[in-house]
Amino acid sequence: MKKASFPAIVSTAIVCFIFWLLITGQVASLLRGEPSVQVLIAGAIVSAAAALFSARFFIHESPFYLCNPVRFLKLIAYCFGAFVVELTKANVDVARRALSPSLPVKPGIVKVPVGLKSEYAQAMLADSITLTPGTITVDTVEEDGKDYYYIHWIDVASEDPEEAGEAIKGTLEKWVRRIWE
Amino acid sequence: MIIAIYVLIGISIFFAFAGVVGMLRMPDAFCRMQSSTNISTFGVLGVIIGGILYSAVFLHNAEMAVKLAVMGIFYIVTSPIAGHAIAKGAYHHGVKMTRKSVCDKYGEDMEK
Amino acid sequence: MNVFLYAAICFVVLALMLMIRLIKGPSVADRAVAADSIDILSDMALILYALHTGRGIYLDIALITAVLGFVGSTLVAKYLEGKL
Repeated sequence: MKKASFPAIVSTAIVCFIFWLLITGQVASLLRGEPSVQVLIAGAIVSAAAALFSARFFIHESPFYLCNPVRFLKLIAYCFGAFVVELTKANVDVARRALSPSLPVKPGIVKVPVGLKSEYAQAMLADSITLTPGTITVDTVEEDGKDYYYIHWIDVASEDPEEAGEAIKGTLEKWVRRIWE
Repeated sequence: MIIAIYVLIGISIFFAFAGVVGMLRMPDAFCRMQSSTNISTFGVLGVIIGGILYSAVFLHNAEMAVKLAVMGIFYIVTSPIAGHAIAKGAYHHGVKMTRKSVCDKYGEDMEK
Repeated sequence: MNVFLYAAICFVVLALMLMIRLIKGPSVADRAVAADSIDILSDMALILYALHTGRGIYLDIALITAVLGFVGSTLVAKYLEGKL
């Protein structure tokens, strides 16, 4: 396991602290201008300790990559625009399959090539694929410098890697590449 | 406004129902996981968004709205991780796929 | 609003339907997935009850069960993979 760099620890601590503020309900009192100092100090100490131990699992590349307004806006546009459309289509499709009397499923595990290099981009694409009903990323491998995902697909339309990849992650991969590259 | 909230919760109940029926009817463990994703995406998001609207507009309770938003983000971030981990663990544990399966590239590549 | 109460009852009934899969499920993975889904459905019932009463304390309980459900299913997955 690699050791975490100092910026990685700082960025993890900042994220932990933001979640502490949200969960303890300090946001409203901060907006009113009367924060509880004890809660803030306890949160800072706890999030710094948590970041010290866990940053090496999360951050291996540039920690402040998303601190760029253009990239952040692209991320927001992906989360609330393109991804929601894909999610709706897949949800309706799987619900229709589950409720139809003849249960039209054709499951199988296909192997799909991925053209993304950054670790964050690959994790985000794998999570997006798993989050859309109908496809689950089972494993990822690297062969000859190229990355492949094994994806369990409920309706195998094609066993060819390229065609299956286009059907499963066509739009998603374009958007993820736009964010991270 | 209240009608929109009811509609969101109705959508949520419908997709949760579809997910539960799918989990009871699907032929093998992996297909059941696909149906459980149905519960953990749209089954959750309708209630969460409706709850945020209701607590912000009718209850005037910002704290509840923020907590609901945190819960929504938490579900969206963690449910794929758990699904992926269980799928991989089940495959390595030896859970068999149904005989209706078309192909299994993962098993073929593991035997090599 | 009574509608929230009825919706919460719907979610509880769905969770009870999933109990069939939890009891019957042929493999451990089925049971883990069913338990995870029951956790999520009961969380939804808790959220709707919190909206019905207008008290935020139920949301804290729902948040904690969400966190524990995630940790539990990841732990079961690790065990199934043989890394525990």
